[in-house]
Amino acid sequence: MPAKLTRRQLAAAISAPALLAQQPSAPLAATPEAELQAVRDQNRQSSEQLARFPLPMLIEPATRFKA
Amino acid sequence: MASIPDDVFFAGIAEINQRLKAKEFSAIELTRAFTGRLERLGPRYNALALSLPQEARRAAKDVDDDLKIGRFRGPLQGVPFGGKDLLAYAKQPTTWGARPYAGQVFDYTATTLNKLAKTGGILLGKLAMVELAGGPSYRYASASLTGPGLNPWDRTRWSGGSSSGSAIAVAAGLVTYALGSETSGSILTPSAFCGITGLRPTYGLVSRHGAMPLSWTLDKIGPLCRSAEDCGLVLQTIAGSDSEDPGSAGKSFYYAPAYARDLKSIRVGFATVDFDEWAEPAARPDFAKALDTIRSLGVQLTAAQLPEFPYGPVISTIISSEGSSVFEPLIQSGKVAELADQRQIAGLKAGLEISAKDYLKAMRIRSLIQSAFRELFSTVDVLLAPSRLTPATKITQPLDRPLSDRPAPKAPGLTALIPAGNLAGLPALSLPCGFADGLPIGIQLVGQPFSENTLLTLGREFQKVTDWHKRHPPLE
Repeated sequence: MPAKLTRRQLAAAISAPALLAQQPSAPLAATPEAELQAVRDQNRQSSEQLARFPLPMLIEPATRFKA
Repeated sequence: MASIPDDVFFAGIAEINQRLKAKEFSAIELTRAFTGRLERLGPRYNALALSLPQEARRAAKDVDDDLKIGRFRGPLQGVPFGGKDLLAYAKQPTTWGARPYAGQVFDYTATTLNKLAKTGGILLGKLAMVELAGGPSYRYASASLTGPGLNPWDRTRWSGGSSSGSAIAVAAGLVTYALGSETSGSILTPSAFCGITGLRPTYGLVSRHGAMPLSWTLDKIGPLCRSAEDCGLVLQTIAGSDSEDPGSAGKSFYYAPAYARDLKSIRVGFATVDFDEWAEPAARPDFAKALDTIRSLGVQLTAAQLPEFPYGPVISTIISSEGSSVFEPLIQSGKVAELADQRQIAGLKAGLEISAKDYLKAMRIRSLIQSAFRELFSTVDVLLAPSRLTPATKITQPLDRPLSDRPAPKAPGLTALIPAGNLAGLPALSLPCGFADGLPIGIQLVGQPFSENTLLTLGREFQKVTDWHKRHPPLE
């Protein structure tokens, strides 16, 4: 179960200015191979954006939802 | 034999049920009329996947027999509906909108369809969808076994997806309501584009047993209807615990309009920039009127902004990872090449290469997103934003291209509310709120988990003082 964060921890985790960056569009590709490469490039960019996101060690993956 | 008046095709659930009980027409007559309409007009909009006339007639006869002896099963009794073709119906094809699954037949029926049948709902057929509910992504509206969903308001425009047939069928008066699904936007988008009311329930509130999985941690089943009132009636029937669904929240939903919250107590957060700058210029006048209408209801309107997170990379990593895992046999067999959309094919293949590191990172950030929304909902009860910033796009428009060359406003507003709300498992209600260039537009209300009654209260009050939900394309 995810640990409950203090407001300070939460603010620290989400304050990095680059975090607003959203998914860029993949270019229109002419062939299936080029399309696959375009998606791979897009996934790599996503990976890089995720890597830039600072995460406290105690954060566990989301597994449940509460009202 | 009674003929069915044209207005019945666009009537709401309670009215149809009342007219059945008043014996203005029988369930069999009603079913025959709707079935004829669905079979005649459904293909015209690429909305029909499978008609079930014999099954519908049998169900209608049962309803007529029940009504004769005064056995009332609730407001959905005798009311015709359709189900997105990702819901299994025993011994009939369930294609998931995709050529590789065109001959697929299950020996069981989805929980949601069974629940509706038990209350006397008349399933007329299965409705078309974007292949594999969109998979990781798709580029063209034509990404479907049945072709692009054509908007009943203008057939050169897209219906939105992936619940395309569900939204078309409701908007065109082919069914009274329909079930759709949303992983990220697949109920809200077609509801907005087709001018109908759609509800995305809280994650886990409605069973997904018998539904095609795309993303185990994001998929939701929900109703597309004529009004917020109808969404409440359908949700009450399909919600509830199901041991067959590992994601089930174990909660029920009771539609309780008699115990609605006082509107003055509801705090509604919104961002002016969404309505004034992000929205397409042609849509701004009616979005502004919708905002004024919400204000006039007496709610507390307050400025709000979304917590800053990389919503796009997080949700695309999760959907791609989970979707490619679901469809790994399809990918490895090579049959993935039979899909209609090259972007979808490439996305599924590339999704298998996403690392566990990235998936876990995305799911850990998702924990923070959930925490941040819990924090946000301590200051507001509902978030309000345009469902989509533009009306329906042209059929040929690549869906991953910018829709306009206008420079993006500096403030993000709530423009990431669809991926953000889905990542946090939040319920949402899309309400038609006007037109832009002759095409419908809608607003979305998003609340904290399991706050559907609050959203429906606000939606119902909005629809008491507006008539956008009563508009429909010219009758054919």
